[in-house]
Amino acid sequence: MIEIINSGFYTSVQDKGRIGFKNFGVPISGAMDQQSFSWANRLLNNLTNSAVLEMSFKGPKICFHEDTFIAITGAFMDPKLNGFSLEMNKPIGIKKMDILQFGNAISGSRTYLSVLGGLQTQKILGSRSQFKGITTIERISKRTVIPIKKLSFNLFKGAVIKHTMMNFDKNILTAYEGPEFNLLPENIKHQLSFQKFHLSHLNNRMGYQLKEKITIKLPQIWTAPVLPGTVQCTPEGKLIILMQDAQVTGGYSRLLQLDDEAINCLAQKGTNDLLQFRIKKLT
Amino acid sequence: MHKKDKMNSFSLPFSIFKLHPKALLLEWNQKPSQKLLIEIITFKAELENKLKEISQITVGYHSLLIEWNKKNLSKDFLFSTLSIIYFSIDFKKPNSNRHWKIPVCYEGEFAQDLEWLSQKLNLSPKQVIEIHSRGLYWVCFIGFLPGFLYLDGLDSKLFFPRKNRPILKVPRGSVAIGGNQTGIYPEISPGGWHIIGKTPVVLFNPNKKPYCFAKSGDTLSFKAISIIEFKNIENKIIEGSFKLT
Repeated sequence: MIEIINSGFYTSVQDKGRIGFKNFGVPISGAMDQQSFSWANRLLNNLTNSAVLEMSFKGPKICFHEDTFIAITGAFMDPKLNGFSLEMNKPIGIKKMDILQFGNAISGSRTYLSVLGGLQTQKILGSRSQFKGITTIERISKRTVIPIKKLSFNLFKGAVIKHTMMNFDKNILTAYEGPEFNLLPENIKHQLSFQKFHLSHLNNRMGYQLKEKITIKLPQIWTAPVLPGTVQCTPEGKLIILMQDAQVTGGYSRLLQLDDEAINCLAQKGTNDLLQFRIKKLT
Repeated sequence: MHKKDKMNSFSLPFSIFKLHPKALLLEWNQKPSQKLLIEIITFKAELENKLKEISQITVGYHSLLIEWNKKNLSKDFLFSTLSIIYFSIDFKKPNSNRHWKIPVCYEGEFAQDLEWLSQKLNLSPKQVIEIHSRGLYWVCFIGFLPGFLYLDGLDSKLFFPRKNRPILKVPRGSVAIGGNQTGIYPEISPGGWHIIGKTPVVLFNPNKKPYCFAKSGDTLSFKAISIIEFKNIENKIIEGSFKLT
């Protein structure tokens, strides 16, 4: 097992998410940056849907109570093992009673910690992703204990992929025209394509609100299904980008829909970061 | 050209919008109604039966969102498949929808906004309860929160705009009115609707099938109960001996 000594800013267990329960109103959840999540598991030859720790903005301090292997991907939080700097994006051997500590995110916002065999927390509706009202624990707090798999072999066979450090400076988000995009006048379409937007402080796993508004009165729509990456516009012209924990239906106009890579990119952004949409037509 | 347009408008009653490389949004060009809802959920069931590539389909008031696992299926393929399936359906076939009677206590602390709302509606609290519990409601779909039923059928005498400032903690089971809708909060959550009662019934349990007793297309009515009956049902639910009918 691993023990959380302190929890960091917002730490939770995540996997690919809960697929197939939207008709009960259950959000997908799952890792915000699915790319970094998937790398974290591949570095250890874990099953692709193994649960990992997702840390946001400031990471936790963790004590390992057994030998294992880990990998760290995503944002750089200056990880230290027993006080010594630790390399990211490669498998690392861990001994019983080792202490792993993370600091603030320096580039990017979210870091992923995978453990050999995956975290063994409660699986509900096919997923270990923590979400209020679904899993007993909605996020990791101080002194949480997380079960892990016993290390059953000594010879380690991971480290099969090589990749260069992800570049989190990218701020162009590929987006498709949403169902209400065509209700927009040309000047607003132009603004959405060419203006740079700032991320407001209202950003969490449910959604990101942008600072800049657009001036337009759009009709309310009949509540309809939405997806992570749907860019909604409220009656006051606020733009909200839905993320993994977003509700499954919404009643605001849907101007754009981010592609999956853009969602991964956005997941690594924080308050005041700049963004720009590159709008494409889907055929 | 003109002829072809006309053909198209006759062929399918919904528009097809590619929302994402792996998601298709179908929107019916008509106002939500019970007839439309039955059509949508019948179509959904048929798609789930016949298209293995689909990972999930989500229902809205006048829409369906179809998501699939495989890479980018072509729009032409989807269009023809959807047409074939749609036209093979007998929409007149009776469906398996159920009716649920939800016990609600419209009294005391459970009904924190009832007095205020009644005054605003120029009705007595008794009349509000009477109108609310007399109504027959349709479960359109579940969204907002796990187990939150979007209900259609609120009497227009009870329409009232939402609160300007949502309260942070609406108690679990609260029955409330907002705009032209009524609903039940399945969990403690922030909310802007006016609270007129509370049900002891569990709306969502992720550990027990069927997770939520109701589904799209079911009907529902509210039955006024006393605080004593509320406590009785609550105890039975804890014991596991309560059966909702």
